Amino acid sequence: MPKRRFHHIGAPLPRKEDARLLTGRGRYVDDIEVPGALHACFVRSAHPHARIKRVEAESAAASPGVVAIYTGKDLAQWTTPLRMAPPIEGLRPVEMTTLPVDKVRFHGDPVACVIAENRYLAEDAAERVEVDYEPLPAVADLAQALAEGAPRVDETLPSNLVSVQKFATGDVAARAREAHRVVECVFHQNRMTHLPIETRGCIAVWDEGREHLTLHIGNQVPHPLRSQVAARLRLSESQVTVVSPDVGGGFGQKIALYREELTVCAASRQLRRPVRWREDRMENLLAASHAREDRARTRAAVTKEGRLLGLELEILEDFGAYCFYPANYLARVVAMILTGPYKVRDYAFEVKVALTNKCGNGPMRAPMAITSWVIEGTIDAIARELGLDPLEVRRLNMVESHELPYTMPTGEVIADITPRETLEAVVHAIDYASFRERQSEARKEGRYLGLGLCSVVESTTYGSKFYKAAGIPGSGHEAAWVRIEPSGAVNVSVGLGATGQGYETAFAQVVADGLGVEPSQVRVQMGNTDVAPYGMGSRGARGGTAGGTAIFLAARDANEKVLAIAAQMLGFDSAEGLHLVDGRVEREILGERVKTDITLPQIARTAYLDPTALPAGMPPGLDFSRTYDPPPMTYSNAAHACEVALDPETGALEILRYVVAEDCGTVLNPQVVEGQQHGAIAMGLSGALLEHMRYDENAQNITGSLADYLIATSTELPRFELIDLSTPSRGNPVGTKGMAEGGVMGAIGAIAGAVNDALAPFGVVAERQPLSPDYLRALLRARE
Amino acid sequence: MKPAPFRYHRPQSLAQALTLLAEENDAKLIAGGQSLAPMMNMRLAQPAALIDLNDITGLDGIAEKDGSLEVGALVRHQSLADSARVKEVCPLLAEAARTIGHYAIRSRGTLGGSLAHADPAAQLPLVAATLDAEIQAAGPRGGRRVRAREFFVSLMTTVLEPDEIVVSARFAKAQPGERYAYLQFSRRSGDFAIVAVACVVRGKTLTLGLGGVEDKPVVLEGLAAAQKPETIARQARETVQPVETPRVPALLRKELVEVLVKRAIAKCTNSN
Amino acid sequence: MHEFELRVNGQRYSVRAEPRKLLSDVLREDCRLTGTHVGCEHGVCGACTVLVDGKPSRACLLYAVQMQGHEITTIEAVAKDGRLSPLQQALHEAHGLQCGFCTPGIVMTFEAYLKENARPTEAQVREALSGNLCRCTGYHNIVRAILKAADAQA
Repeated sequence: MPKRRFHHIGAPLPRKEDARLLTGRGRYVDDIEVPGALHACFVRSAHPHARIKRVEAESAAASPGVVAIYTGKDLAQWTTPLRMAPPIEGLRPVEMTTLPVDKVRFHGDPVACVIAENRYLAEDAAERVEVDYEPLPAVADLAQALAEGAPRVDETLPSNLVSVQKFATGDVAARAREAHRVVECVFHQNRMTHLPIETRGCIAVWDEGREHLTLHIGNQVPHPLRSQVAARLRLSESQVTVVSPDVGGGFGQKIALYREELTVCAASRQLRRPVRWREDRMENLLAASHAREDRARTRAAVTKEGRLLGLELEILEDFGAYCFYPANYLARVVAMILTGPYKVRDYAFEVKVALTNKCGNGPMRAPMAITSWVIEGTIDAIARELGLDPLEVRRLNMVESHELPYTMPTGEVIADITPRETLEAVVHAIDYASFRERQSEARKEGRYLGLGLCSVVESTTYGSKFYKAAGIPGSGHEAAWVRIEPSGAVNVSVGLGATGQGYETAFAQVVADGLGVEPSQVRVQMGNTDVAPYGMGSRGARGGTAGGTAIFLAARDANEKVLAIAAQMLGFDSAEGLHLVDGRVEREILGERVKTDITLPQIARTAYLDPTALPAGMPPGLDFSRTYDPPPMTYSNAAHACEVALDPETGALEILRYVVAEDCGTVLNPQVVEGQQHGAIAMGLSGALLEHMRYDENAQNITGSLADYLIATSTELPRFELIDLSTPSRGNPVGTKGMAEGGVMGAIGAIAGAVNDALAPFGVVAERQPLSPDYLRALLRARE
Repeated sequence: MKPAPFRYHRPQSLAQALTLLAEENDAKLIAGGQSLAPMMNMRLAQPAALIDLNDITGLDGIAEKDGSLEVGALVRHQSLADSARVKEVCPLLAEAARTIGHYAIRSRGTLGGSLAHADPAAQLPLVAATLDAEIQAAGPRGGRRVRAREFFVSLMTTVLEPDEIVVSARFAKAQPGERYAYLQFSRRSGDFAIVAVACVVRGKTLTLGLGGVEDKPVVLEGLAAAQKPETIARQARETVQPVETPRVPALLRKELVEVLVKRAIAKCTNSN
Repeated sequence: MHEFELRVNGQRYSVRAEPRKLLSDVLREDCRLTGTHVGCEHGVCGACTVLVDGKPSRACLLYAVQMQGHEITTIEAVAKDGRLSPLQQALHEAHGLQCGFCTPGIVMTFEAYLKENARPTEAQVREALSGNLCRCTGYHNIVRAILKAADAQA
């Protein structure tokens, strides 16, 4: 075991958050009592695509308890539209109003908002709002979207293709000509939704006297959200406070400012009364945010030994009807990092994104989720077509440690990763060597086993330089403050938005080491934009690295000042040789640490209440702010191995073993990190096996309940076997690498590989997910 | 997802319940409410009145009567699954009940509710039809007994008149040497079955009940147990006419019928 | 409007509500016990699970008016005198919760389950847990915690 660099960082401290959450005393947005609050309910379109001819709300307005009914025309007066027009080559600018005015674009699109005394009465009235629609032909899938003369989802665009981006380096055509073979693969990823168990919701409280809006909302990015709310209500950022309390899961769904939330804010301001909205599950499934649904195709030029010479990728994503994000943003990252740990110089990609009459897409835990499935599925196909061992093909092409840092063909640089170590670890743990024997024994009994391997190089913690290079306006920095109060109490804040990651615990550990106190002495204050510094929030596996480092730096600043004061109090010229350990100053004498009588509360008291005793020129107080902009991209890595049993008669799958070896750098809290790994793997497996947001051929959503949209329960998921192979990153002072999305990527790829291995004797290949019994039976039936 | 308004009644006797049912327009009976309440929350059902049967005494018994097992309409699924008596004299019923929904659903849902709701994929209608249970209904014209195989008409439709209430069901007790199996195929634990198979071998004859396949349970009876399982399974597959749904093609249901029947028979044969 | 009395966690509450008001809403709004969470309102997710006369039930599938004469137990009553129950303690120690939204439903389900099944196997725990959806944990640590709690109670 290497010597631990830190004392508190890396300790499996049970979470500080748990006590309140376990006893029913958490405070999620719907738990917040606001006297006199009205309730909002949205009238939603049953049509996937239709002109709004008239909204007849008179009889609904007379319904008991109704205070107001607002339509798109009302909201257009009180709010500005969302314009999504970053200067990105190949991306077309689009704009949307707060509520639709002229036409609805998907089944579930909000047409009107009923405000009533309670949600029951609001729903009664919503049933009575009559909307006169003129149905339009709808675009239900990518084929329809791209067909000649297709109906246009957004009539301001020349076609449904909202983004097209191409890239090439080297000469893939030449490599294909030289190759022993060009292996082609296709991957269809299913449409999904995030499904936090807590749906969306908010409470808007307009203070007419102060002309100030307080928005209580479960959100991952409180400050960027505040900027949006203020701008779209034509208020200044001083007039809006966003308060994000305990949040019941986000997974990327709670980032954007949604139309419903802005409507509720505008309604509160208009009515001068608090208005609250609690999304119900049907709305959440139909109309919150969807994710994924893409088709990818690869062409790999290879030697007869299976060495990759060149690689081409095409991706086509179904983005839904509205762009809450730049439409290229999700699929482009896949193309940027596709090659992962594999060495290849000649690479080309084309990324196309189309609009359809479906709920709009957004980033879902691992927006680049398909990446590892595509590259590892391609490697498996190479092995299959050339009759090679898929492990050997991986070993042959994988970057070796002496070749790091390695520049991917797209220019992305991977450094401080350990793909070979993690791969060999899972190969050993799952007993790859004897698997073929087990597999052939089982086949004799009609059991079809399969083993899948999946290496993951996870892009985390996008820095500002990456955004700049990608043409996306925005920053990758994070901000933190540490304040030691006059009593010595330590408060810390950061601009992230917690949704269950245990920040209150892990960041207390970071401060504990940075400053020199016990984690129990540190209180993390988050989620209130009046309290927290302006940060970019929680997304893209950036919390630990961007947020954690900003906190660590602020804590180090605090430590420096605290020790300078201590030196003065002890009568020393400098703080050299002084340390703060668990809140007490220690002195180094001849290499030995000796406790002094000086403690943090005494120092704090001096700093605040006796400033004349401070070193000359030192300002009073103990208040430290820091921002931190991480490197352009930080990478962590992992290898997954999955063993399944397929019942070919029913198409049923059972996961027999699931092993992951991961290197995510310095681990702030191993319990929390393991929990994040479990959750990510679970989301990947759930999506690959079960989840499918479905529309019929007329673009009607047929997945409006949890009896239709299936997520994994405790009986479908296996035990997870985790192997920790973390090595610190040299990219930041704590050594973290970011994590919590790679598990999704690896799981999707590993299960797909395992299933295709089980299917191999039947001569079929699964190219779609979910890997449902229906789909697997259809594949097998064709060969029976 | 809040229900539309309704009037609420809580009768203290079966007679009161029947009177209310006769008087109220557009009333629904509620017992466990595990199927009705979700439909009401989604406003797919908007009854003008609910008549809550939970206070009526005498409807939650499990007793052996006249050589059969009588189960009251208010018996909860978890009680059926856990009852030592049910396990002993009608093990198929206990085994099927154990697979209904989830623990909290089973703790609340009732036999009477499940039979009257007549979901074609539900366990209890399937077992009732397979064993040809006798369903006792009460009504303003007195009580009547209906054979389960005649009770289910189609998707969520039974022969019950709007003013009748299921009060109990009688299941034939398993005979010495009788063998049974219950198998179901669903996407996840607790989901409604895509196909469910109940199989009973009594002497030389074999009875099959197939759930989730058509708009009501399908029963194939009087099959010769001596036949090869594959032959019976093939016959079952060819007999059924499954519904085609967006999520499950009819052909898959036919295949699952064949596989599950084959396995259910094997399970009967291998168990003693 | 109906006026009725509810017994929750051993306390009496006078409630004035329409018969259609769901038990989950009455507990949260009228009794101000917001630990019972609403996740789907169609009986699938299990977040709103409470005990009715000791049996786990979905509060979103019950009308509060039905609960007169019955004893309801919610998450707020599980810890006694500020001490977590063995199950809660095990969930804390095994990191069996993340965002915590599904947690009260899981605790209520297994407070009841472990009384009836003192020494469940892992497979039995997974079956009983399958009625509670969790999107954060992958269930691994929840299962571990429940088995640990069963051990501690046995």
